[in-house]
Amino acid sequence: MTEFGKILAFMILAIVFVIVGIFTAYLIRPHRPTDEKLLTYECGENAQGSPWVRFNFRFYIVALIFLIFDVEIVLLVPWVLIYQEYGILGFLTGFIFIFLLVAGMIYEWRKGDLEWDRPESEKFMANTFKLPKLTLPAKKIKEEVTN
Amino acid sequence: MNLTSTDYLNILPLLLVGAGILISLTVEMYSKKSVGFLSWFSFLLHLLVAYYSLYTVNNVSSVFGGMMGTGGTVNIFYFIFNFGAAIVALLSMDYIKKAEIYFGEYYILLQSAVLGMMLMASATDLVMVFIGLELMSICFYVLAGFQRKNVRSNEASLKYFLLGSFTTGFIVYGMALIYGASGSLNIQSIFSMLSAESTPILFYVGTLLFIIGFCFKIAAFPFHMWVPDVYQGAPTSVTAMMSTIGKAAAFSALLLIMLPLIGSKNPQTFTPLFTVLSAASMIFGSIVALAQTDIKRMLAYSSIAHAGYMLIGLAAANDTGASGIVFYLAAYAFMNLGAFGIVSLIEGNGDTEGTIESYAGLSDRNPLLAGLLALFMFTLSGLPPFAGFFGKYYVFIASLEAGNVWIAVLGALSSAISAYFYLRIIVVMYFRKSDVASDNIITESHTSLLGIVISAILVIMMGLTPGSIVRLINSF
Amino acid sequence: MSSFPMLTLLTFLPIIGMVIVMMLPKEKRSLIKITTLVATGLQVVLAGFMWAGFNYSQAGINNPATFQFVERIPWITFDSGSWLGMIKIDYFLGVDGLSAPMVLLTALISFIAAISSWNIERSVKGYFALFLLLDTGMMGTFLALDFFLFYVFWEIMLLPMYFLIGIWGGPRKEYAAIKFFIYTLFGSVFILLVMIGLYLSVNEVTGEGATFHTFNILSMMNPSNYTQDGILSPFNPDNLRFIAFIGLFVGFAIKIPMFPFHTWLPDAHVEAPTPISVILAGVLLKLGAYGIIRFNYSIFPEITRELVWWIALFGMINIIYGAFCAMAQKDFKKLIAYSSVSHMGYVLLGMASLNEVGLGGAVLQMFNHGTITAMLFLLVGVVYDRTHTRGLNDFGGLANNLPVYTGFAIVAFFAAIGLPGLSGFISESFVFLGAFKVESIRLLTIISAAGIVLGAGYMLWTMQRVYLGKLNEKWTDLKDLDFREYTMLVPLAVIVFLLGIFPSIMLDLMNTSINELVNQVTKTDFHSIMSGMK
Repeated sequence: MTEFGKILAFMILAIVFVIVGIFTAYLIRPHRPTDEKLLTYECGENAQGSPWVRFNFRFYIVALIFLIFDVEIVLLVPWVLIYQEYGILGFLTGFIFIFLLVAGMIYEWRKGDLEWDRPESEKFMANTFKLPKLTLPAKKIKEEVTN
Repeated sequence: MNLTSTDYLNILPLLLVGAGILISLTVEMYSKKSVGFLSWFSFLLHLLVAYYSLYTVNNVSSVFGGMMGTGGTVNIFYFIFNFGAAIVALLSMDYIKKAEIYFGEYYILLQSAVLGMMLMASATDLVMVFIGLELMSICFYVLAGFQRKNVRSNEASLKYFLLGSFTTGFIVYGMALIYGASGSLNIQSIFSMLSAESTPILFYVGTLLFIIGFCFKIAAFPFHMWVPDVYQGAPTSVTAMMSTIGKAAAFSALLLIMLPLIGSKNPQTFTPLFTVLSAASMIFGSIVALAQTDIKRMLAYSSIAHAGYMLIGLAAANDTGASGIVFYLAAYAFMNLGAFGIVSLIEGNGDTEGTIESYAGLSDRNPLLAGLLALFMFTLSGLPPFAGFFGKYYVFIASLEAGNVWIAVLGALSSAISAYFYLRIIVVMYFRKSDVASDNIITESHTSLLGIVISAILVIMMGLTPGSIVRLINSF
Repeated sequence: MSSFPMLTLLTFLPIIGMVIVMMLPKEKRSLIKITTLVATGLQVVLAGFMWAGFNYSQAGINNPATFQFVERIPWITFDSGSWLGMIKIDYFLGVDGLSAPMVLLTALISFIAAISSWNIERSVKGYFALFLLLDTGMMGTFLALDFFLFYVFWEIMLLPMYFLIGIWGGPRKEYAAIKFFIYTLFGSVFILLVMIGLYLSVNEVTGEGATFHTFNILSMMNPSNYTQDGILSPFNPDNLRFIAFIGLFVGFAIKIPMFPFHTWLPDAHVEAPTPISVILAGVLLKLGAYGIIRFNYSIFPEITRELVWWIALFGMINIIYGAFCAMAQKDFKKLIAYSSVSHMGYVLLGMASLNEVGLGGAVLQMFNHGTITAMLFLLVGVVYDRTHTRGLNDFGGLANNLPVYTGFAIVAFFAAIGLPGLSGFISESFVFLGAFKVESIRLLTIISAAGIVLGAGYMLWTMQRVYLGKLNEKWTDLKDLDFREYTMLVPLAVIVFLLGIFPSIMLDLMNTSINELVNQVTKTDFHSIMSGMK
């Protein structure tokens, strides 16, 4: 069996395991649903409104920044393990990487991406995205009908 | 693997651009009025790197344990990218004011895109290709949508991003399959692995996916759908860059990675594929361009056709083909930069924006620009003694050498067809009286003009004495 | 003499003129015109010197040693390592008995067209700059002995012609200019491919003993220079020489223009201004025939021998079809355009004979047609300037108040018909004599002879409609020729008479070369090499 064959066998096994597990549970578990149990899980609170609301895009920027610095750790771990093999140049190479990250960090800071309240952003939102007005066919028909 | 300081010295062009980006970042964040400085800084930086890469063109080496290669063709590509970027910087100086994108980030992104291209050209490891490709593409996604208030520009950015990330998936999947087949991502290791034993089918599937991904980047039929919209929507200076050195970068990866890989067994394995792609691109591009009324869209379709001509060289899969593509890319870069430079000057903000009709009577209004645009149109259509002719000549020679006659015949036919739409611009400029002249003011810009004239000089020089640039720089 | 760059000067003299014209201010119209006149005039003088120094006993054709005034320097030679490959292109000019008459014709017609351009009003500077560039292109095409150089001149010629028709042309100039350009470009891409194929198939040994691929036309004519496996090499059993011949032939035939590729010609002629029509008919059409003789005949002799019947057939179609079309025209210029188609058919027919008489007649016909048609277009230009119409039926009885003009017209018309004593007669009779000797194309020759009758028919009918009969009331106050028009028409009329009475002036010039050409076409054995392989 080749390496790929083993992976295939593993995947088949995994799928079978899940299906068998759920099916067995379905057969033997009791079935007593209540309103509380059918609610979407939201840390014990009662769910309010639809989850499909617009999030402020500031969350996105914060998440992105977090992600960058998170990945940094992943990249630094192997470097820590082997830099001694490459002497001083290997050591400095790691520092170039960190230096680049610091430069990026300073840039974000200067540009105000770490501030939560950004007066410019509201101005920006007001001026941007003047998309052409779309007349929806349904609305048009409705108007025609009322007229 | 040994890490020595020579490794760093050998990638000095990359380090210079990298340092340039950091300096630009620093300047940009501490000064609100740094755009003027940054434009000249980018121009000089890229000029310096272009000069340096030709200066060290004979310094062929492999660095960082076979992750990257330098010297030779790689440095020629460095030259094309950087010289092209320097011209783009010149063209942008006044254009970005007109297009209301007068921000320092423009130049930082420009420099980063060039860094990505240089990584792609120098990579000898599939991971490095990928990093370079992403660095370049992400900068282009952003640059394409730089006119935030322009719906077209937003559309271009989104379209380019969605389709681009989709095809990136192809490339990564292809790389994974190649890895599965050979157990390595390094070109040299893959090469020796494959020549030792019989090639598994997985390798071919992986290569195919890889090629498909790059065909998107070089805008070959049938992966061209994004081209017209993106070229039209993006700011013209960005289009100029994407269509020239961006295409050159994608070709550099195909050329320097795929050709040795495919060549490991039988160089002509993918010839049928490339032949069909090339024929389809040439004919589709030429014929659809006939029907365009917007000059940027026309140049977009012509760009598809030119990708087809260059693919002839890949289909030939010989040394002449490879050098033909490099020459063609350089020639195409400069002629298209010139053409888009003129478009960026004439582009209005009103309804006449970019239509071919708005060029009516340009020869009376501005004889210099009309003459230069005529020159670029002639060289794009492949007339001697300009650079475009030599590019075509090289790839035709390669395909005849490889015995691939009919693709050369198709190429010749399609270049005859394409002459029509290039000539139409000249007809409109010279043979028609202008009726929209009043509301179409030509921007006065000395820097843009300088960039256009430099392109024109290069186009003529490469036509009269091809190879003179290389010799010139090498001689001292 | 060999140190004096006669041919370079001949070719690039107009370029010098062009540079001067470009530097002159726009307003100095007459200075620009005089510069052009001087440049083309000097070119005529130089061509005369070339003629005087020309050695009649040297053949040229396929032997570089017997070409005259040869100039050969490496133009593009570089070996820049792996990324651009190696290319060797020579700047190689030379003249032999085949190109010498064409060089004389080009110089003469350019000079006369320059005089004829005197009344151009619109953007004079641009016009004369392009005019001189066109002159260089034509001259270079006739003189180049390196295929690549030939191709470059061939395409250089295309650009100014395109603008000259497109900017200074008549009402449908856009259509005519684009049609001209696309047709020629369509042909020249085939020429390009064949050129590359030949380049890859031919080797030349340099002084150091190294072999290079070469663009040298003369090397391509010798079977022993071919590589073993080149796609156009006779040694290669799967060679594509037949297809290459067809491609090259079509490329040149478009320029002749041979039926069915002739449709650009009437449009281009009608829309072009008079001097450009003169150049178009006088020189450009000859380039196609010259190309076929220089390239197809000498490089692909074995295929030429196979295909003579077809060449003769197309010659016949050109003669008859052109004559019938001419007969149906109501526009003076279109009539002459179709008569050109018909007359170039004689050239094709003569070429198909593959003997000294026929080929000599064909080349002489090229020269004579150049002068006669130039004269005809000038004559049309004269009346068009005065009346602004070219409709054949708008005129009538011009002989009454324009006697001198009518005299010149009668000379030109009768020369075109082929009246004995005028130049057209000699070349046409040579063509028929040569073609009739050849068994295989005798029938086609006999049919073609009807073209003379048809030619006489439309020419005489035209003369009757325009010059004879009662004077049309509208044109009673037309003036006869002025001095400028005399200077254009007199030299051409003199040549027409001179070559009608002493054709040996031209025939001696080309005789040795034509013999050698016939030798090359009929004797060079590409076939035995091929059969030896199989």
